[in-house]
Amino acid sequence: MFLRQREPLSFERSVPGKRGMDLPKLDVPAAKDTRPAHLKRQGFDALPELSEVEVIRHFTRLSKWNYGVDDGIYPLGSCTMKHNPRLNEKVAGLPGFTDSHPMAPDALVQGNLELLYTLQEWLKEITGLPGVTLQPSAGAAGELTGVMLIRAYHVAQGAKRRVILIPDSGHGTNPATAAMAGYDVVELPSRPDGTISFEDVTDPVNGKVRKGLKTLVGELGPEIAGAMITNPNTVGVFEYRFKEISDLLHSVGALVYMDGANMNALVGVARPGDFGVDVMHLNLHKTFSTPHGGGGPGAGPVCVGEKLLPFLPVPAVVRDTVKVGEGEVPKHTYRWDWNRPQSIGKVHTFFGNFGILVRALTYCLSHGSDGLREATLRAIVNANYIRARLKGAYALHIDSPSLHEVVFSDTLQAKHDVHTLDIAKRLIDHGYHPPTIYFPLIVPGALMIEPTESEDKGELDAFCDTMLAIAKEVEENPEPLHHAPTLAPMRRMDETTAARKPVLRWTKA
Amino acid sequence: MRYLPSSPVEDRALLDTIGVARAEDLLSGIPEGLRLNRGLDLPTQGSEQEVAWQMLDLANKNTRFCAQFLGAGAYDHFVPAAIDAMVSRQEWFTAYTPYQPEISQGTLQHIFEYQTLICDLTGLDVTNASLYDGGTACVETALMAVRVQKKRHTVLVSRGLHPLYRDVLQTAFAPHQDLHLVEVGLKDGVTDLADLQAKLNEDVAAVMVGYPNFLGAVEDLTALAGPVHAAGALLVSVTQEALAFGWLEAPGKVGADMACGEAMSFGNRPTFGGPYLGFLAVKDTHKREIPGRVVGQTKDLDGKTGYVLTLTAREQHIRRDKATSNICSNQGLVTLRANIFLQLAGPEGLKGLAAQNVAKAQHLRQRLLDLPDMEPVFDAPFFNEFVLRYKGDLAALQEACLAESLLPGLDLGRFYPEYQGCILWCATELHTRRMIESLVEILARVPATV
Repeated sequence: MFLRQREPLSFERSVPGKRGMDLPKLDVPAAKDTRPAHLKRQGFDALPELSEVEVIRHFTRLSKWNYGVDDGIYPLGSCTMKHNPRLNEKVAGLPGFTDSHPMAPDALVQGNLELLYTLQEWLKEITGLPGVTLQPSAGAAGELTGVMLIRAYHVAQGAKRRVILIPDSGHGTNPATAAMAGYDVVELPSRPDGTISFEDVTDPVNGKVRKGLKTLVGELGPEIAGAMITNPNTVGVFEYRFKEISDLLHSVGALVYMDGANMNALVGVARPGDFGVDVMHLNLHKTFSTPHGGGGPGAGPVCVGEKLLPFLPVPAVVRDTVKVGEGEVPKHTYRWDWNRPQSIGKVHTFFGNFGILVRALTYCLSHGSDGLREATLRAIVNANYIRARLKGAYALHIDSPSLHEVVFSDTLQAKHDVHTLDIAKRLIDHGYHPPTIYFPLIVPGALMIEPTESEDKGELDAFCDTMLAIAKEVEENPEPLHHAPTLAPMRRMDETTAARKPVLRWTKA
Repeated sequence: MRYLPSSPVEDRALLDTIGVARAEDLLSGIPEGLRLNRGLDLPTQGSEQEVAWQMLDLANKNTRFCAQFLGAGAYDHFVPAAIDAMVSRQEWFTAYTPYQPEISQGTLQHIFEYQTLICDLTGLDVTNASLYDGGTACVETALMAVRVQKKRHTVLVSRGLHPLYRDVLQTAFAPHQDLHLVEVGLKDGVTDLADLQAKLNEDVAAVMVGYPNFLGAVEDLTALAGPVHAAGALLVSVTQEALAFGWLEAPGKVGADMACGEAMSFGNRPTFGGPYLGFLAVKDTHKREIPGRVVGQTKDLDGKTGYVLTLTAREQHIRRDKATSNICSNQGLVTLRANIFLQLAGPEGLKGLAAQNVAKAQHLRQRLLDLPDMEPVFDAPFFNEFVLRYKGDLAALQEACLAESLLPGLDLGRFYPEYQGCILWCATELHTRRMIESLVEILARVPATV
């Protein structure tokens, strides 16, 4: 595994004269230097000089310090770390896709356009919503697109609305997105079961009253542009009053945005279009298995209801049916439609992260309608199995029926002065990637576990056994947990100094 | 389903432990009226072989070319074999964002190296772990500029910026009625200095110019920086073809305060427009206002040097609606491709490759100008793209090229009515003399001027 304790920065290995890339012989006259003298590239301070062997060894060694999905369960809640099928990678690398140019005439990229059209049809049926744009590059980009669609809709109605409602359990991107789209954020309180509170909530500690959904809708009514709601929410619980929430918001002209981060709990089981959602995003890198890539690239398609169709980004992929003779199979051609006067415009330079969209369609075709539902159910079973096995040893702050993930609190361990961070770091010593920690904010010391459908019983048991062993260790001998991890390539890092005196790049000594 | 670890025996054991009879019983939290009480109206599952063929069929429906003389923000460059081999390691492509630094040092050290290289190429102090693409990088840069330039609300955008970047900027600025995007015109293929000076005022936070611009022309950043800085505005260079940094001086060294753009050219393929690689580099004074993920160097408890995500106080999971951006990812694998590409190339490789691009483009331009129907439009120095006016029938030219499996340059009239009848040509190291001669031969046969 970790064969070396340290791999220097490549810059520190650089030796003048080495080359890892050679160039073809120049078969045209050498370039005339047309640059103004002051714009001539002088040199580089960091670019290393290395052979290909050294570069490959460098990146191979670095890779071994990462934990990947193929190493084992990767139980990050809300991140849906499922298996990344190799077929999807192979298909995305087909030269027919990778060589195609985004400015090529439509007639020359019919395969790409058909692929995008087909993926949109799948996403429409899965979400129950009639319109899709595949342009946004990530979940957060999808959120921003969705909220801009909401804004465009209200502007077209001649209405100025300034508020977006967001539950306190929501992901931080929701309020950040609303602000980026020019809205004020008003927070919705949660009930003890983790769902949105219709009634006002009194804080047991400071006695402060937080206004519930009903009060806020009553007071702010025509000011509310919409609400951004994650469903199932960030504790893995379905907002069982979702339809009522939608109806209440619609009654004052507001729209409902659903954050689809947790869609892995709903595919083939329930459709947002059936419970009043006007607009939502999907994370193809979560629900549709496109690889996370150490941070990206992802894709965050946005699906919309009828009201928002005219505002979708340009261009839209359109299918035309070519007239054929009687009894013949109809033929289709595809094209980009740029002429959409009410569109919000473009949200990506070209058409989105196409290579990721190729993988997502491959996932869909592999699973099919039956496999998608089976995957959802298995994801829910796996999460509930972990819940059943760890309940008691770890506190369930919220005891409502949960779907694809389960959120524990560190309250039982905190009595021994062991906290979520310690538990997470101890898991590393046992060879596991920790769950999502300290999120959602409404659960004290949250440990948010999402196993996904990819894990078999053996892997789930091994993980649960480890979690139980750690819980036992906390009661018997808590001290070592404060020092964990000790078996990883690094021990705990000094993040405070990193932020106070930031060193953000290498510089020559 | 080959990806699901289901078996009747184990499934039963799982359900028994949970205490339910069937998996469906676990859906009790979803009100019955909101559940889908039918199967999805979609095809059923496909075997690996069936799906592989289906996708291959789609890929084959795209037209393949012997040569593409089209750039316009999506460049075809040679990709060394080492890159595909490296990024296919599961440790790189299946890992998540490096939230747990102790078991993510590979990704973190890579990003630190990538940041170092982007700073080196741009001549600026600080960058982030990357942004989605060139267009969205422009958005983040423009929003950052109005954030750091308090009480200034206008961003001047050169008409030489990629037209699709300008479209993305328009979309993002539309919700902000207090912010303004104002276009600065072109003269002789580069930003019109007189128009710029006329539009500079105390409300201008930043001026964004292409370097090289969309028409391929090299803007003189130094000449622009004078009036821009005198007006208290920031000069932002926008580079859509980052390979040009192997030929042109780093923007930060010739007057730019911020540099952003697209770096897909480093180890990536056109792939119908994405995933690409947006970048943004700034001066040290602005580091706490930069959007996106940033990696910093630190030490662990044993004093060993390592890397962590840092400056997180700017970010959405801490600041929520006060964050510098909503972005919470980067272009991970695409940055990895770029990092490996740049380390393989090194300073000499990068300069040599850039010089080859200039030579090929100069040769292509010369050979095209030998044709009677082609004429120059302006004379600004260019990197690997340039504009020529075609006096013949553009549609006939395109048809002739496509018939011979060559993809011609961009019909500029689509984005610039003033350049109706002009073509934006691109040549890179991939274009051999033979390919260029084929193009010229085909064009020579196109029916005479209409």
